[in-house]
Amino acid sequence: MNRALFRISLACLAMFVLLLLNVNYVQAFEAGSLSNRPGNARVFDQQFQYQRGAIIAAGTGGNTTLAESLPVKGTSTFQRHYPDGAAYAPVTGFDSVYGSTGIEAAYEKYLAGTAPSLAVHNLISLLTGKPKQGATVYLTISPRAQQAAYKALRDDGGHQAAAVAIDPATGAILALASYPTFNPNQLTTLDGPKFVKIDKALLADPSQPLLNRAINETYPPGSSFKVVTSSAAFSTGKVASPAAIVSAPQPLRLPNGNLLNNDGDETCFGGRPQVIQAFLLSCNTAFANIGMKVGGPALRSYADKFGWNDSALTIPMPVSPSTVPLITDKSFTAMTSIGQLDDAVTPLQEAMDAAAIANHGTLMRPYLLQSVQAPDLSTIASTTPSVLSQPVSPQVAGEVQQMMVAVTQNPLGTAYATAGPPAVGSLVIAGKTGTAENGINNGGLDDAVFTCFAPASDPRIAVGVIVKGGGFGAAAAAPIAVKIIEAYLGGH
Amino acid sequence: MLAFAVAVVLFAYANVGFGLNGKVPSGLVGYGLAFAAIVGCAHLAVRQLAPWADPLLLPLAALLNGLGIVMIYRLQQSGRSGNPGSQIITLSSSATAEQVLYSALGVAAFVAVLAFIREVRVLQRYTYTLGAAGLVLLAIPALLPSSMSEVPGTGAKIQIAVGGFSVQPDQFAELALAVFFAGYLVTKRDVLALAGRRFLGIDLPRARDLGPVLIAWGVSLLVLVFETDIGTSALFFGLFVAMLYIATQRTSWLLIGIALFLFGAFAASQMFGHVGERFTIWLHPWAGDNPTHNAYQLVQGLEGMGFGGVFGTGLGHGQPFWTPLVQSDFIMTAFGEELGLTGLMAMLLIFGLIVQRGLRAAVAVRDPFAKLLGGGLAFAVALQVFIIVGGVTQLIPLTGITTPFLSQGGSSLIATWALVGLLMRISDAARRPAPQPIQDEGMTQVVRAG
Repeated sequence: MNRALFRISLACLAMFVLLLLNVNYVQAFEAGSLSNRPGNARVFDQQFQYQRGAIIAAGTGGNTTLAESLPVKGTSTFQRHYPDGAAYAPVTGFDSVYGSTGIEAAYEKYLAGTAPSLAVHNLISLLTGKPKQGATVYLTISPRAQQAAYKALRDDGGHQAAAVAIDPATGAILALASYPTFNPNQLTTLDGPKFVKIDKALLADPSQPLLNRAINETYPPGSSFKVVTSSAAFSTGKVASPAAIVSAPQPLRLPNGNLLNNDGDETCFGGRPQVIQAFLLSCNTAFANIGMKVGGPALRSYADKFGWNDSALTIPMPVSPSTVPLITDKSFTAMTSIGQLDDAVTPLQEAMDAAAIANHGTLMRPYLLQSVQAPDLSTIASTTPSVLSQPVSPQVAGEVQQMMVAVTQNPLGTAYATAGPPAVGSLVIAGKTGTAENGINNGGLDDAVFTCFAPASDPRIAVGVIVKGGGFGAAAAAPIAVKIIEAYLGGH
Repeated sequence: MLAFAVAVVLFAYANVGFGLNGKVPSGLVGYGLAFAAIVGCAHLAVRQLAPWADPLLLPLAALLNGLGIVMIYRLQQSGRSGNPGSQIITLSSSATAEQVLYSALGVAAFVAVLAFIREVRVLQRYTYTLGAAGLVLLAIPALLPSSMSEVPGTGAKIQIAVGGFSVQPDQFAELALAVFFAGYLVTKRDVLALAGRRFLGIDLPRARDLGPVLIAWGVSLLVLVFETDIGTSALFFGLFVAMLYIATQRTSWLLIGIALFLFGAFAASQMFGHVGERFTIWLHPWAGDNPTHNAYQLVQGLEGMGFGGVFGTGLGHGQPFWTPLVQSDFIMTAFGEELGLTGLMAMLLIFGLIVQRGLRAAVAVRDPFAKLLGGGLAFAVALQVFIIVGGVTQLIPLTGITTPFLSQGGSSLIATWALVGLLMRISDAARRPAPQPIQDEGMTQVVRAG
C-alpha cells in the first residue's frame, strides 16, 4: 500500500502547491487591482484611519492650507477640514465617505498615500511604527488671486459666474473660481446618512452650487471670440495686418439673406474701419466679413490650436471642451466668427486664448499641480511646464496683442472705462470684451465675457471671466478681471 | 516546540490588542494561561500515552488552534469598544471564551483517543458499528426539520440544533466513516483489487465490485441533495476514493471515482439551482450584480486578501468584518488580509506539514488497517483544506465547510483534535521500537498483541 500512499502524498502536495500558487496570484499579483476595486469598502474606510495629505496653495501670496485632515476627538479617525472652504471649493473639491471630487479625487493616490512612488516610504513607516500618512499636494493657485476672484464673483449681485487666471509663461493656474459655490466642510461628515442628506440638498439647489463653472460649464463667447478670428485671419494672410481696411457695413446682409447688426446697430468707422479699429469697437459686421474670408474649416482649425474642441484636456480635473462647430456654410461661418451660433466656451478656455497671445503665440498646458511632497519632505512629483500648442506665430501674437491693448487704451475701446487708464491707471491690460446673446432675445440676459492679460509689456497673468446674464462684458466681466489682476500683481 | 507555538499565539493575541486599541488586551493572562494549560495537558498526555508519537504534530495543531482563537477574538472585537466594523452581528461577546472551551474539549477528545485507543486495530472491531453510526450521524440533519438543522443564513442543513446549542454531526461522521472505510477495505481489498477486463491499458474492476463505490457515491449525492452541503459531500466521496485507491492500488478505481464525481457535480449543477449558482459565482464573481449579491461573500473575501497584499495589514489593522461569516468558512481570508500572503502561506505550510506527518506515519506503520486509516485521515485534512481554502480564494467553486482548527465552532475543532489523536496513535505505533526478538530472527516476527 505504500506505493499508493506515496501517490496520495503527491496528490496532497499538488493540492497544497495549487493553493499556494493561487494565494500568491490573489495576494501578490492581483492584490492591487482587488484592493483598488471600486466598492472595496476597506480602502474606502481606511482613508479615515490615517492622516490624509494636505492640499496647499503655493502660488504668489504665500503658502495657504486649503485642505487638511484633523483627528476627531475621542476616536481613531480623521476628518477633512477646509479652512477657507467656499473660496477654494472649485479647486479642492471635497473628500467624503462617499467619494471625492476636484483635486481630492484627481490626486487621491498621493493624498491617500497609495501612489507607487510612496511605497518605499510607507514600508519604512510600517517598520518604524510611525502612522501612515498621505503626501502633501502643493498647487499653483495664488491665494491672492483666488481670494480676489472669489470675492469679486460673490459680490457681483448673485450672478452665476466664473473666473480663471493663468500664468501665460508656464500654464500654471493661479485662480479658479466659480459662483455660486458650496462649503466643502458641509460634506466631510463621517456620518453616511447625514452626508447623503446634505448632498441631495446641494444637488437639488437650482443655483447648482456643486457645478464647477470655471471648467465644466460652457457659455457663448460672443465678441471675445474675435481674438481667435483675428489670429486665423492674420495667420492665413486673409487680412494683412491690424492696419488693413475691412468692410463693415451696418447692417451686413448675409448670403442667406439675413441681416447681421453691430452692437446697438451703430456704424463702424463709416463702414471702412481698419481691423484694429473694428476690434476695439468690436464691430460684428467687420469680423463676420473676415470670418467668411477665412472660411469655416480654417477658423475651426485655429480654434482647435487654441485648445477648443479638446475633450481630453485635464488640469488634472477633466475640462469640458469649448466648442466651435465645423461649418462650411458662409452665413453660419459669419455668425461663428463673432462667437454666436453654437460656439460655447469655458472660462478656462477664455484665459487660455489670452495666455497664448500673451506668451508670443505659444500656449502652455494649463496645470494645477506644483509638486507633491512625501511625509519625509522629499519631493516625489512635480510639474514641468509643457507646451500644449503653438496656435499663432510670435508676429501674429504681437499684432493681436496690439489690438487687445487698443481695447483698453484707446478712449473708444470697449473696455477703456473699466479696464483702461480710468480704472487701473498706468497698468496696461490687453483684453477683449464679449457680450453674448444667449438665445433668449433679451438684452438684460446677455452673458458678459472678458479675456485679457497684463501687464501688456511683460504678461504675468491671463484671465478669463464669464458672468452669466451679466450684461455688457466690459461692464460686468472686465471689473472682475481687473480685481484679480490687481490683487495678483499687487500694486503692479 | 510546543512552548514556541504557545509563544507565537500569545504574541499574536497581544498584537491584536495593540492593533485594535493600542494596548495589551485585558484577557491576555486569562486566555493565555488557559491556552497554555490546555496544550500543556495535551503534551503531558502524549508523553504518557504515546511517547513515541511524532513530536511535531501536537505543536503544529496547537499553533493553528491558538491562531484560530486569536482571530476569533480579533473578529469579536469588531464594532466593540470603539473599533470599526459593527457589521459583524453573528459573533457573540463570549465567542472567544467559547472557542477556548471548545479547544479544551477538543484536547480532551484528543487525550481520550490516546487513552482509550491504545492500539489502532481495536477500532477494526467496530468497523460496521462505526459505519452505521457515521451514516446515522450524516442522515440526522437531513431528517430533522430545517428549523433545527439549518445553519442560519446559509441554507445548509448540516447541524442538530437544540435550544441554543448546536452540533454539526458531519464532522464526527467523517471520522467514523474513515474508520469504517479502513476496516471494510482492509478485508475486501483483495477482492476489489481483482482485475476484470482490460480496457485502454487500464485494468477495469469487475462490475459487481463497483457496488461499494456506487453506494458511497450515492450517499454523498444524498447528502448533497438533502443537506445542500456540497463541501461535505465532496469531502466524503474524495476520502472514500482515496482510501479505496490506497487499499487496492488500482488506478482504475481512482479514475472511476473521479469520473463519478465529475458526473455527479455536473448533474447537480444542472439540476439544483444553488449548485449551478456556485459555478456561476466561481467563474464570474465580478459580473453584473454578482459582487453585491450572490458573490458578495467571495468578493469581499478576495478584496480583503487583495487589501492585505504581501505583508498584510497586521492583526487588528484590517477590516475582515466586511466578509459575511468570516469567522467560519472565510476565516482564511481574514488571515490573508491581516497576516498577508506571507502569513497565509505559512499557515498553509503548517497544514501541509500536518498532512505530511500523518502520511509519513501511515507509510511507516506496519498494520494495514492503521496504514489505511492514517493515509485516509491525512488525506481528509488535505482535501478539506483544499476545498475550503481553494473555495474562498476562487481556485475552485466555493463550498461551505469548516477550516480545520481555525473556524469558529466546537464540532469541527473537537473532531479535528480527535483526528490528530488518531494520527498520533498511528505514528506512535509506527515509531515504537520493535521489542527485542527473543530468539534469532527467523521467519516469524514478534508482534504485540492488541
